[in-house]
Amino acid sequence: MKIKSFNPQLQRWLTLLGRLVLGGVLLAAGYLKAVNPTEATASVRVYKLLPVSVANIFGYALPWIEIGVALLLIVGIWIKQTSILAGGLMVLFIFAVGQAWARKLAINCGCFGNGGLSADGKVHAGVYLTEILRDIGLTIVAGYLYRFPQGKFGLDRAGTELE
Amino acid sequence: MVDKKANKRKATKKQGDKFTRYLVIGMILFVVIAGIGATLAKNHSNSHVALPSAVSTSDGYGIQINPTAKVKVDMYEDFRCPNCRNFEAQNNTYIDGLVRAGKIDAVYHPMSFIAPDSILTAAASACASDQGKFLEMHTALYVNQPTTAQSAENSAYWTNAQLILLGNSVGITSPTFATCINSGKYINWTRNIEADAAAKNINATPTVIVNGKTLPLATDYNAQAFAKVLTDLGVK
Repeated sequence: MKIKSFNPQLQRWLTLLGRLVLGGVLLAAGYLKAVNPTEATASVRVYKLLPVSVANIFGYALPWIEIGVALLLIVGIWIKQTSILAGGLMVLFIFAVGQAWARKLAINCGCFGNGGLSADGKVHAGVYLTEILRDIGLTIVAGYLYRFPQGKFGLDRAGTELE
Repeated sequence: MVDKKANKRKATKKQGDKFTRYLVIGMILFVVIAGIGATLAKNHSNSHVALPSAVSTSDGYGIQINPTAKVKVDMYEDFRCPNCRNFEAQNNTYIDGLVRAGKIDAVYHPMSFIAPDSILTAAASACASDQGKFLEMHTALYVNQPTTAQSAENSAYWTNAQLILLGNSVGITSPTFATCINSGKYINWTRNIEADAAAKNINATPTVIVNGKTLPLATDYNAQAFAKVLTDLGVK
């Protein structure tokens, strides 16, 4: 494998960076939704993937799951496992946005009133594309953390030592 | 010798790490579970909270005027929502006229998610409703909605004291009104409105539903198109 040629010191700093980026994004996303459950549930419902009642429960719970995964990533615990969870969330989001794009569903509930489609019913490809590209980027970060869980300033030690 | 010492130190450090790790994991799990639990508990409809006298529990706890009129118009709005102000600017005079003439069964669902003070405005509109001045307060809240220069869309603007003054300005003088606002009497009722809107898949404000049919946003923002919907249903 190529790990040997990979600078271990750099790798540890990159792992820390990856944890902070992925954890930071999830923490911010979780916090913004946790303080506004109305928007949080709506932002799940608009994808039309789940029955309304299930979507609402998921919408109430998801922000807290995001916050939990984010905190684990930031303090550096169970990196291998949490990176799978975080990556899983990202793949789920990519799938959700992709199918919404295909079905021309309005998704950007950031401002409750505007929706992803404008009043004339046109699809703004940029809305979907930016979301998908961002989530693909974050999935790659999650993949890196799974491959190289050992980083700087992590509480994880036992079992994941590389040396 | 040195190696042994180092090993021993490493061993105790490892045990300490393990304890810290479980402690931190425990705390994070607690935050997640407590967060989910509190959110689910708070966002559940509760029939035991104080309800404004005009509330119709069967219509999602909305404030209902003219329950016997044939054409029913449900309006989901947030007093801090700029798009709702657009809707009001187009249709408020027309709708108020119909409501006062008893021609439509109007159900108002004041939502509270745009800004931190949305919930105060929603509760204040309910206090005004108890004084028979819902329509006046409703109009005043939109006419006096802060511009983005006065207050960013997502930041607080109204205080209870200002809302009481706003009520006074539309002729609500009863001290009951001030007490109702200051005591936060209808704050919990607003959560019923939110829970009902979530259950009914309301994903945007304004959402206007006429006899069970959701109007397209383009119709909401077009006074002529909106009036046509109602006149086609026999409202004159």
